[in-house]
Amino acid sequence: MNAIRPRSRRARLRGSLTILAFILPALALFCMLVLTPIIVGFYTSLFKWNGLGGLPRDFVGLDNYTRLFADPVFYGDLWHTVVLVVLSLVIQLPLALGIALLLNQRLRGRAFYRVVFFAPYVLSEAITAVLFMLILSPSVGLANQILGIVGLDGLEWFADQSTVLLSLFLVITWKYFGLHMILYLTGRQAIPREIIEAAQIDGGNAWQVFRRVTLPLLGPTIRISIFLSVIGTIQLFDLVWIITEGGPSHASETLAVTMYQFGFKRFQVGYASAISVVMFLLSLVFALGYQRYVMRRDLEGATTVLREQR
Amino acid sequence: MSGARHARPKAIIRFRGALLQVIALTLASFVIVPLVYGVLGGFKDTSQLSTNAFGLPDPWVPENYTDILASDTFWRQLWNSTFIALATTILVVAASALAAFVLARFSFRGRELLFTLFATGLMFPFAVAILPLFVLLRMFGLLDNPLGVILPQVAFGLPMTIIILRGFFRSIPIEIEEAAIIDGCSPFGFFWRILLPMARPALATVSVLAIVSSWNNFMLPLVVFNDPNLWTLPLGVQQFQGQYSSETAKVLAYVVLAMIPALGFYAVAERQLISGLTAGAIKG
Amino acid sequence: MKWIRRTALLCAAVLAIGGCGGAGGDDGGGGSSDSKKVTIEFWNIATNEPLKSVFANAIRDFQAKHPNIEIKNVAIENDAFKSKLTTTMQSGKAPDIFHTWGGGVLKQQADAGLVKDVTEDIASWPQKFTNAAIAPYQFDGKTYAVPHDIGMVGIWYNKALFKKAGIEQPPATWSEFIEAVKKLKAAGITPIALAGKAKWPGHYYWSYLAMRIGGLDALKQAAETKDFTDPAFIEAGRKLKELVDLEPFQKGFLGAAYDTADGQAATMGNGKAAMELMGQWAPSVQSSAGKGIGDDLGFFPFPAVEGGKGTNTEALGGGGGFAVGAEAPPEALEFLKFLTEETEHRKAVESGGVLPVLQGEEDAVKDPNLAEVAKHLAATTGFQLYLDQAFPPAVGQEVNDSVAELIAGTETPEGVAKAITETAKSE
Repeated sequence: MNAIRPRSRRARLRGSLTILAFILPALALFCMLVLTPIIVGFYTSLFKWNGLGGLPRDFVGLDNYTRLFADPVFYGDLWHTVVLVVLSLVIQLPLALGIALLLNQRLRGRAFYRVVFFAPYVLSEAITAVLFMLILSPSVGLANQILGIVGLDGLEWFADQSTVLLSLFLVITWKYFGLHMILYLTGRQAIPREIIEAAQIDGGNAWQVFRRVTLPLLGPTIRISIFLSVIGTIQLFDLVWIITEGGPSHASETLAVTMYQFGFKRFQVGYASAISVVMFLLSLVFALGYQRYVMRRDLEGATTVLREQR
Repeated sequence: MSGARHARPKAIIRFRGALLQVIALTLASFVIVPLVYGVLGGFKDTSQLSTNAFGLPDPWVPENYTDILASDTFWRQLWNSTFIALATTILVVAASALAAFVLARFSFRGRELLFTLFATGLMFPFAVAILPLFVLLRMFGLLDNPLGVILPQVAFGLPMTIIILRGFFRSIPIEIEEAAIIDGCSPFGFFWRILLPMARPALATVSVLAIVSSWNNFMLPLVVFNDPNLWTLPLGVQQFQGQYSSETAKVLAYVVLAMIPALGFYAVAERQLISGLTAGAIKG
Repeated sequence: MKWIRRTALLCAAVLAIGGCGGAGGDDGGGGSSDSKKVTIEFWNIATNEPLKSVFANAIRDFQAKHPNIEIKNVAIENDAFKSKLTTTMQSGKAPDIFHTWGGGVLKQQADAGLVKDVTEDIASWPQKFTNAAIAPYQFDGKTYAVPHDIGMVGIWYNKALFKKAGIEQPPATWSEFIEAVKKLKAAGITPIALAGKAKWPGHYYWSYLAMRIGGLDALKQAAETKDFTDPAFIEAGRKLKELVDLEPFQKGFLGAAYDTADGQAATMGNGKAAMELMGQWAPSVQSSAGKGIGDDLGFFPFPAVEGGKGTNTEALGGGGGFAVGAEAPPEALEFLKFLTEETEHRKAVESGGVLPVLQGEEDAVKDPNLAEVAKHLAATTGFQLYLDQAFPPAVGQEVNDSVAELIAGTETPEGVAKAITETAKSE
């Protein structure tokens, strides 16, 4: 977005100071409490270190990284992440969008539904895990009981290497779709009612209005939602750790789980830091690429869309 | 212009309404069933959970819930959690709104770099950041101090909040800003008097997300607080967990109770969300 | 504008309260003169009864005797405790007194200079600890923690189910054990409950087989040479595979946890499986996670392997002790001396919270199941700390992971030995 009018040198300086003043609180806190630990993490990834006894001393350069890239578990992690990202984009996000649009309709009990659908997100990871470990338990679980009623064989869910990742995805969707739902709801609210009504008057049915007007206007929101979803999936830890610890036999392991194993159970903090750095770089590469190619339109001027509609 | 829709037979409208209800109820049931199980589970004793996992409690054990409500540690932890969550939310939304404003509506060199810098806060696992963070907090004497939890939570909440707010601040049409400037409004004036009120749904959203994230945060309060009087609700769950076994039923009761305030916050903030329905982006 | 004022007020309040929060934290306390108040932080995992009250009473009694010493009771749940302790230790400071499981983790902490050497202090105390009790905390001839609890792992079995399958005597050798498993399967009973997800219950099998086949010396040797490719270990893996191939575990065992409502303890406690290889806490978890099988519960030590160098009087187990931070004031040791004195420790044993660690305490055990374990413990000829704790943490975890893979069928016995050796060598 360009400045509104040409500025004199003094005005530009004042402008810079203004910008600085606005940014400073966030930037200061962020650099001190977030950047510093990250930089320390980068530093320790170059050492062999068990975390105890002061700063690391055993410099090993990039050995931790070569070790990581030679480990088949790492590639398994990457694959699982890809699978989960694709599943999220194809299933979880459209589901959240659908529910958000549903809740935007004139529906009796809408307020009740909104609270209900957001409740899973409010629940802590630990207890979500406990609930679903019980529901999807092969022996006493509700899921298998229901399957039994309709005459199907029970599944092994988390206990079998071939079904564990999908079972995890089920829980992840249940827990996190509320976040995206709330984003889409807010995004939907920001679309002026007049535009929708104008489109309806122009003779579109519900689906056409959705495809031609609502969806494009929700574009920026959707793109943010995808961004958060992908990065969140790369970092996925809590639910996986509590439910499966990455098992059975690494079948559901993610990068963060591997990192935790090596950092906190095996006390190989240098190696764990290396894994964290790789997670970071993966997210960063995605973010940079995404910003450049996908969000570029959003960056140029959010009103571009509205403008073009005039 | 006054919102006249296609004339539709009443029956179709009613059918559509009923269909929506059915869809909503079906989806809601997938969400509700696990929750109901959690609530009911709190009325059983732990071994009942293994023998009678999904039926109604038999016998009902209301003590799990009533004992918790009667214990003053629960209320103290509730207060601690509330205080920390509110403080975190106010600070993070304030700082993020200020930053997101310039990141959204000003153009200056290094803007995208700065934005990406903030975004990197999402990309590093917290579990690894916690050790250097802990050392920092200790250096500043912030252990056993609510600020030791609030400030890091604010700092780590900045990325997501800024990302979301920036997106919404961008969507305010440029005409409004132009009009404000012509009227002689300063940047801060525009920010405070026009932008923020219009972005109320977005502010409500990020507030809810910040509150929920603070509410469930376990690791940070665990390492910062030695004094049990400062413990937040997630830490309080430990009293039901032992070295080899957990009293799962009591844990369920506890967590259900702990969840209620957070849901309450959401219900309140949510009304802000729908108020955007009538406001619209283009004001007269 | 009201907004601004309210926000400013709240910020001020936050800062004010933050300021009053104080820096109670982790300072060890003042000097050692009698008149000055000394505060000791006592980090333990007694979040539940009976130890919770035992400790509370002990602290109260101790403070009554020593008015200038204040003991702060920091009780944290097991897993959260490990996280919190790890972070604190890694930041370079150890708490005054903290619960420890001994073994490789404690050794790492001692090597980093964070833990006090208490060999001489303990030697000067009147109470005498058993060898088994103190073994986990000793390295290079020095002791780094005060024992408080001990235990061993053995096979808990359901007498009624055994009878139903026609097994008259608990098996004493490995082949008898395999026979028993086959008989149980034939009778339609799940022979063994196992928490596949947790991994540590599975590693008990491999550990015991290694002990029975190679003897305790083989393990000691391997720990020193960092070489686990001795045929004894591979044979241990083979025997375990032999068991796993019979499919003796409950349905969905690979995803089962230990103490959840559908986990190993509940399966055993609800009479759905005939055996579990578990530590001395098993009966109480069986009756809290499941219903508990009451009088039908029995205990027998892990069978001997024919032709192996070990005997079934050698026990795998562990306990709990209290270590002292390197910078803790001497009063910390005063408290530990008090806590483990005969009269005081006896109270803990009688409550059922711990097993005897002092010589001559066995008669204080009241619970019949625990008494059974205590009897075996008192008669052990050799003691081995759980492998996932005895070894350095990375090696211990590798044992857990590799054995879990062996049980899941994705690793061979040779592969297990190789993986453990590689990890040991790289430490």
